[in-house]
Order: sequence, then C-alpha cells, then structure tokens
Amino acid sequence: MKNFSYYRPATVEQAVSLLENRFGNTELLGGGTDLHDLQKEYVSQPARVVSLGGIAQLQTVQVAEKSVTIGAGRTLASISEHPQLRQLFPALATAAGEIAGPQLRNMATLGGNLCQRNRCWYFRDEHSNCLLKSGSTCFALDGENKYHSVFTQGSRCVAVTPSTIGPVLIALGASVEVQNAAGKRLVEIGRFFKAPNANGEREHALASNDVVVAVQIPVQGLTNAHYEVRQKLSSDWPIVQAAVSFQGGRNGEKATDVKIVLGQVAPVPHVAQAAMRAIENQSITEQTAAAAGQAATQGAKPLSQNAYKLKLIEVAVKRALLLASGARPYWLA
Amino acid sequence: MPWPQQRRLLGTKVQRLDGADKSTGRAKYSYDINRPRQCHARILRCPHAHARIKSIDTTVAERTPGFKSIHMVAKPGDELYFAGAELLGIAADTEEHAEDALRAIRVEYEPLPHHVKEAEALRSKGSTVGGGAEAANVTPAGDYSTDNFEQNAYRDAAAVHEAEYGVAIISHQCLETHGLVAQWDEKQENLTVWASTQAVPNTAQQLAQYFKIPATRVKCITHYMGGGFGSKFGPDIQGQIAAELAKKAAQPVKLMLDRAEEVTVGGMRPSAYGKVKIAANKEGLIQAFEVDCYGSPGVGRGATVNFNLLPYVYVNVPHIKRKHQAVRLNLQTARAMRAPGHPQNCLLTEQAIDDLAAKLNVNPIQMRLRNLPPNDQDAIKNAPTTYLALRHTIYTQQIDLVRKMSDWDRKWHPPGQGNGPIKTGLGIALHTWGGSGRGPNPTKITIGADGSVLCQSSTQDLGTAQRTVAAIIVAEILGLDPKDIMVEVGESQHGPSTPSGGSTTCPGTSPAILKAAENARDAFFAAIAPRMNVEVADLEIAPGHVVNKKANQRIPWRQACARLGMNPVQATGDWPTNAQLQQNKELRDLWTTRLSNQGVGGVQIAEVRVDTETGVVRCTNVWAVQDVGLVVNKLGCESQAAGGVVMGVNYALYEECIYDKNSGRLVNPDMEFYKLAGIRDMPQIHVHMMDMPERGVIGIGEPPTISTAAAVGNAIFNAIGVRVPFAPFTPERVLAALARPQGGAR
Repeated sequence: MKNFSYYRPATVEQAVSLLENRFGNTELLGGGTDLHDLQKEYVSQPARVVSLGGIAQLQTVQVAEKSVTIGAGRTLASISEHPQLRQLFPALATAAGEIAGPQLRNMATLGGNLCQRNRCWYFRDEHSNCLLKSGSTCFALDGENKYHSVFTQGSRCVAVTPSTIGPVLIALGASVEVQNAAGKRLVEIGRFFKAPNANGEREHALASNDVVVAVQIPVQGLTNAHYEVRQKLSSDWPIVQAAVSFQGGRNGEKATDVKIVLGQVAPVPHVAQAAMRAIENQSITEQTAAAAGQAATQGAKPLSQNAYKLKLIEVAVKRALLLASGARPYWLA
Repeated sequence: MPWPQQRRLLGTKVQRLDGADKSTGRAKYSYDINRPRQCHARILRCPHAHARIKSIDTTVAERTPGFKSIHMVAKPGDELYFAGAELLGIAADTEEHAEDALRAIRVEYEPLPHHVKEAEALRSKGSTVGGGAEAANVTPAGDYSTDNFEQNAYRDAAAVHEAEYGVAIISHQCLETHGLVAQWDEKQENLTVWASTQAVPNTAQQLAQYFKIPATRVKCITHYMGGGFGSKFGPDIQGQIAAELAKKAAQPVKLMLDRAEEVTVGGMRPSAYGKVKIAANKEGLIQAFEVDCYGSPGVGRGATVNFNLLPYVYVNVPHIKRKHQAVRLNLQTARAMRAPGHPQNCLLTEQAIDDLAAKLNVNPIQMRLRNLPPNDQDAIKNAPTTYLALRHTIYTQQIDLVRKMSDWDRKWHPPGQGNGPIKTGLGIALHTWGGSGRGPNPTKITIGADGSVLCQSSTQDLGTAQRTVAAIIVAEILGLDPKDIMVEVGESQHGPSTPSGGSTTCPGTSPAILKAAENARDAFFAAIAPRMNVEVADLEIAPGHVVNKKANQRIPWRQACARLGMNPVQATGDWPTNAQLQQNKELRDLWTTRLSNQGVGGVQIAEVRVDTETGVVRCTNVWAVQDVGLVVNKLGCESQAAGGVVMGVNYALYEECIYDKNSGRLVNPDMEFYKLAGIRDMPQIHVHMMDMPERGVIGIGEPPTISTAAAVGNAIFNAIGVRVPFAPFTPERVLAALARPQGGAR
C-alpha cells in the first residue's frame, strides 16, 4: 500500500484547503470503511488522506421547526439511534440501522455513505481494468451481473449506487450542504448523485475540492418508510431497496406528493416516476401498493442475470408503501 | 483397559479448558505470532486463469524500500493453470513493503484459453484446461450398474421421479487463513514454524523433506488453530516459500494468506450436479436409483462425489446405476472439506427421495423408515458394535427422537400447503460417516510430587476441544478434576500423531490417552506403594484421593503425590502397532470395536420460512441427532454438531464461489459477496447426542455438517411445493423455481 500523508484538520476550512482539483491524489476520509479497503486492495492509492474525524462541526444534529440538519461526520449507528430522527424520519433511521453490521455502522459516517465508491466486483478487483479505471470495458455486461443495474439509464458502467441513505434522502426532499474554498452551497439531493463512466469520475456530482458538511432534511410531516430485500439479515447489502414518502396516506386517507425512490437497481438512486403516478391520490391498500410496485419496473432493461430484481422491485415498493401507511407487515407474520 | 463402567466425567458436559484463553485473546494462533526481527512475505500470483509466462523481471522489486529476499516458484516458459497460481514470494520489512515490492515486478504473460464454468467445459472438446498429456477437460470418474439394470429397474415402479440437483463450488473460508511463521536458527540448520495446520508432525516432516534435512531439525508449533476443515494438512507452497524466504533473509518470516488468497487458493469443496431418476413400488420401497452426475475438482483430478455411496445411506436399493464425470476447470484444486463427497451425495439422494415421496403421497419420515438399510447379519455376528450391525436400529431411534424434538407430526404438511406469501416447511435428511481413529498417538503423562499432572502429545485442536478431551480422560482415571490436568498439544517435538482428517482425532487420541493415564496411575502406585508399606494391589483411586484398601485409609491426592519425593512419575500410552492389531484379534477388537469404533449415523430436520414474493429463505430451526459412540465431552460434541449445522446452513443458503467466465477470476474472494451467515441468519440449533459407550469413541467432526443442506433443501420443497434444484438456494433461484410452469416437475 502506498505510503500516504495523513491530515487531521480541525475545521472544514482547513480540510478544504488541503484538497486538490482532481480526484485520486488526495482523498477524504470519513469512517474509513470504504477508503481503507480501496487502499489495501490497490484500487485507490492516494498520496494524501484528509481525515474529517477531528472536525467537531460535522458531528452535530440540529432539529429545528422547519428542518433537521445532520452533520456529515455522524455515524450511521448514531443516526439510527437518534430519538428525534427515528420519530421524524423512520425511513432514514431504519435504513441507517440496517446497513452492514454494528462494527461498520459504528465507524461509517453519513457523508461517507453518500460519497462511497460502488461495490462492483470488477471495479474492486485490482486486476480488472474496467472503465472506471483506465479501461474501456464494463466487464459486468458480459459477466457476472446478478447484483448490477436493471435501469442502466444510458450509463456505460452498470454498477449500482451503493448508498442506501441516498434514496431515502431523495424521498425526503433533502439537500446536501457542501463547502469549498468559495464557501458553502446547498445541493439538492436529487442532483447529488451521478453515474461514473470513466476514470476520475465518482458516484456523485461534487468536485474533488468539495466537502460534504451536512444534510438538511425539511420537516414537512411526511409519512415515510424504507424497505430493503436482502438475503441475509447480518451484514449484507440490499438486493433491492425502496424508500417512499408522502403526505397523508394513513388510515385509508389518500396519499399525495408521493415519492418512491429505488436503490441498488441503477447507477444512481432511481426515482420511480410511473410508480409515483400510480399511487398518487390513492389510498394505500395491498392492491394499490402492488400496482405501484408493478409500475416501478417500467423502463427496466435487466442484464443477463438480474431479471429477478424486477420482481423484487415490485415487492420492495409494495412493502415500503404498506409500511409507511401503517399497515401490518404481512411478511413478518 | 476398557473404558470405565462407572463414568464420573466421561459423557458429561465440561466447558473448554481454553475457552477463556480463546475468547480473551490470550490464546496465540499462528496469525498472532510475531518473532523478533520478523519480516513479512507476500506471494505474486498469476492474474490469468490460464497463461504461459513469457518473462519475469524482478530487478525493480529488489530495489524497493524494505526488500529482504525473493524466492522464485515459476519461471519463464511455465504454464499456469488458474488465477492465483504462485509465481514467487517476496519478503520485506513490513507487509505493506512486501505488497509494494510485488507490484514492482513485471511479468509478461501469454494468456491461454480457459474454462471456469462446469457446463461450458462439459460441452467443449479438446484440452482447453491444460496440464500435460492427460489434459482432457472431462474425465470419467466412475461408471457402475447393478446387473440387468435396464430390464429390471423400473418394472415394479408405482412412481418414477426424474430431476436435476446440484450444488456449487464453495470455499473452506478458514477464519484463520493458511500460512505460517518460519524461523531458522543462527546456523541456518534448524527450522521452527508456527503453522496453522491440522497435521502438526506432518507439517514438520514435509518441510524437512522439502529442504532435504533430517526430520529432527524441523519443529512445528500449532498451539491453537483457526479452522482447517480438511484444507490444512501441510505447509503448502506458501509454507515452503516462507521458509525459503526466511533462510535467504536470515530473519524470521511471516506469511499468512490474505482473505482474497484464502478464498482463491485456500481450498474448495467441489461442485456436483446430476440427473437423478428414482423409482419406488407401491409399498414405497425404492426399487431403482439412477444418477448421472458431474462436478469440478478444479484443475486437479478426481471424483467430486463419494461414488460408491450413491445412493447415499439407503444402500439396499436393489437396482442402482451411476455415472460420474470430473470436469476440470482453471481454478484451484479441490481439497478435502468436512466429509468429502458426502454432502454432495446427500443432496443428490435425499432431495430425490423427498420428490419421490411427494409423488407417492407418502410422508418423508415414513419414506425413510421404509427404506432404511437393515442391520447387516454378518456384522451382527462378527462385529456387533459397528455401524453395519446397528445402522437400522440407530437410524430408527434417531428418527423417532428428532421427529419428537421437532414436533414433526404436528408441524409437517404436504408440500406447498399453507396460506399467504410466507411459507414454512420441514425437511429431513440422513447421513453417515466413518470416524475411526488409529495410532500412533503417543501421549506422555507426568505426575509431580506436588500433585500436578501434565499430559503431552503433538496432536492438534482442530475443533475437538482437544485439551479438554485429554483432561477429562486423565482426570477420570486419576480421580481428579479436568482443571487439575495441564494439557500440552500442538508441538511436533512431542512425537508422532495422526493428522486431524476424517474425524479421527478423538477416536485416535482418546484410547492412547486412556492407556497413558492408566500407565501413569500404575507407575504412580508402583512408586508410592513401597513407601506406604503396601502392595500396589492395595491402592485404588477415589475422587480426589488415593485409597489404601488395606488400612481403609483415604489419602488426599496431593498428600499421596508427596510420597513421590524428588522424582516425578512419567508414563506413556499409545496404540498397538498396526502389525500387532492385524495379528492379534483380541487386541484388535479391544482397540477398534470397544475403545474406539467407526461408522456413525445422524439425522437432521430443518425448518425454513420462505418469502415467496422475494425468494428469501430463512432457516429457523435445525434439530440434529448424532451418534458418536462413547461421548467423551458432551458439551464439546454438541458444539461440534452445532458447528456442523452452521456450515451446513451456509452451504444450503449462501455460499458459492462465483467465477467470471471471461477473465476466469473469482469475483467474490471475500466475505462480502461470498456470503456467510451472521448470527441473525442462524437457526436455533437443537442437538441431541446419542451416547453408546459400549461402542467406544467415534469421531464426529464431519458427520453433523453432511445432511443439513439436504434437510434445508427438502424443507424449502415442503414449504413451497416446488423443488429448487441447485444450491445455494438464493432468492433468484427460489423465484425461478416458483415461476416454473409445472411447479416441481422438471
């Protein structure tokens, strides 16, 4: 592993000043659950690592009347256990609480979750020169792709977005506070993620000298829920994830302003527009939720080994909607 | 010297004596060993599934920071047959420097065609996989038929079932990876290795042979080891490389595989896929079993099932036809893995039986009871404590027990019944295994004047809780508490011992330990009797005491030991030689049918919960009944069985080595997408050990993992009413089975 210089600034300004205008040579370190793996696997060999762990500002959670601000350095465990977050945003708290296992949740940060690299096994293989490195081929297309995208959205790389927090935040209408040398700005979460297609590109739209400072979530009384289909309960990735939010929608009331966002099915979180239209202004029943689930697969183009994900999308959307509506989760019977 | 009739400790539950050491980290595994001035080694491996080396340039690597030594394994012109094949090793002052040095090596390869998928290799002609003259991709590995099979097999069939079953290649995934720390003495003459091995003296011996030095000059130490499962019988190539690098660097070298290497080259259980045709008459008696199967032993050769044990357990089927082909692939060679061939056999047999039972509308338990092999008449006469003589009796009792434990009669339903999308099901499967032990396993016992007792041998603790096994036996004979016995294992200097393979450790060591303990007791009595003015025959052991029968006097153990004065007593015990066993029937009967034995039966029932919308299977309960002959440590046996079930559930639901057809590389050499159950994925495991002390000790390291996967497969079938043909039973496979037009009929 290449020797690197380690920086542990005390302020965001200091952190920003240490960054460069391209990715690769200098990397930001959150909890280390992704970057250190990449380093040890010789997929990433930065010369400089800037830890955000010493910045107290990134650890705060502010609950105000109109919005909640969560520091990017908060661990997933602390988010999943936060009483007010659990009450306001059960989708966020459950998603954070289901990621990997306790050891990782105690280290991994919110900012790291949003900025982490994808888990494609070709990308992660040092000997596989895929198009996210200096190659020109996505090996998953004609290879092992059962965990890859079913909505490729025109992307040449068909790895799925690894963040399970991302889809939830999109459903909740959040924004990301980003800071660089020019100052702070808010990036709407829907514009935060971007499919990488070449060396030097990331799974998000930020520049290499941007630092994610916090996530702001508006408090709008949204009913929300998250459901993931996963093979294992202990330490596993979801195969498909659905995050939903809406106004009303409980006790037979109609759901409006519905948002349905899928994870693990596309290079970026996938906003299931047809599913949203299908359930908009409907009361949520098993029938309407199932119809929305079916609509959620519209436009999907599965690869050679992952058509089964379509069925899982239907189920995840249905169950997330039912969970949000307060229905008894029949699948736990 | 039979086992004591009155058992004070044997057969009870005794906690592992080294449990606290293991859980606190005081126990040092090979991975934990760090020697003064130690350097670290890494291995350069071929990234291609099949390639010829054109050139290797190590000049830059040898100038990288911290470089210590290099050892070449392959040379230009060599052909390498799998991704992960070793080219060379490099030692450096730190692991990171060794990794960097590897990456400074320039190798030019000429990639050659490869196969990593069984189905493709099966179809292809020629010798793509490579490897010399006998390079055919597909080789016959068994062809057998009972007489006149075609005419007779299906004549009386009331039901015939024909389907495909199979299971993928999996990895041993030892928690402690393969490797060792090697240290030469100053004169470079004597080698000590701290190796993660299940064969301590063999590892020393193999290294001595490799370096062409006297066996006495190599010492292997394995005080604790973190999993082998059949994959760690010697130093392996990485052990040789480490010792070479240590010699060249004149410094100790540590070389433990990393996780990706462990999965890629640390051993695999071969796959098995087969078409099975099975038929029964109207009484539900299986008349015919026909299997045409293949599997891959990797780039090596050999069968991937236990060919002669097909059908498995139900060996009295009158009409049998079987064919097996070994499909070579460009990946690591298969290694023995916890009951080689048996889990595959069990899947091919037990799942077909349940499908046939469903066609006959017979309860799976009835189906098994009807088809159990009978107790063998010859064996009843000649070897009444053997599996052959007892199998029908044992399985019948076990089925009765496990049926009650699992509440089968209340819970079982015909396949596929049940409302709603969440289905539950029960499945049963049977297994068998040998588990006989042999010598040499010389064991030395020292009794000190302070009352201390030391028990030493070179055997290893692969999972038997071997220190505790030894302490129980010695304490039983000397009237002490197991905690009073200090047990040393895992050092080749203590003499020969048999490798821990084939579930042989407990039956191989226990009789020798018993013999040593009795010899030590007798030597102890002989030493103290004159000083007490009694005859040896006047002395006997009572708990914590030596009893002087003549004077009707009970002397506390330590006081009695004080009579030894300056000289401790030492005694050894071991098996008779093989020649003695062959020549002397009485001796043979004592050691191989009363002190130890072979052949066990076991029955398991699994319960699953299948989410038919997602295809996700959870195994909720497993009930395991296991025969083990004489139980030495009930707790240790139960733990062995529970560990077997854990592996079996993983085999059924999660594990699979996935190879990329284009690169030939393993895409999941990790614990992320090579899925392993965590604690929340584990069923409740209920173990019942049958104690049959008259049979002597039999090893059960392997048997309890055999039938779990088949029981889970059958439970899934029972839950959803369709067969998922290939393990692991992943969501996509369950969904595909549910989507099949005619349900279970294939």
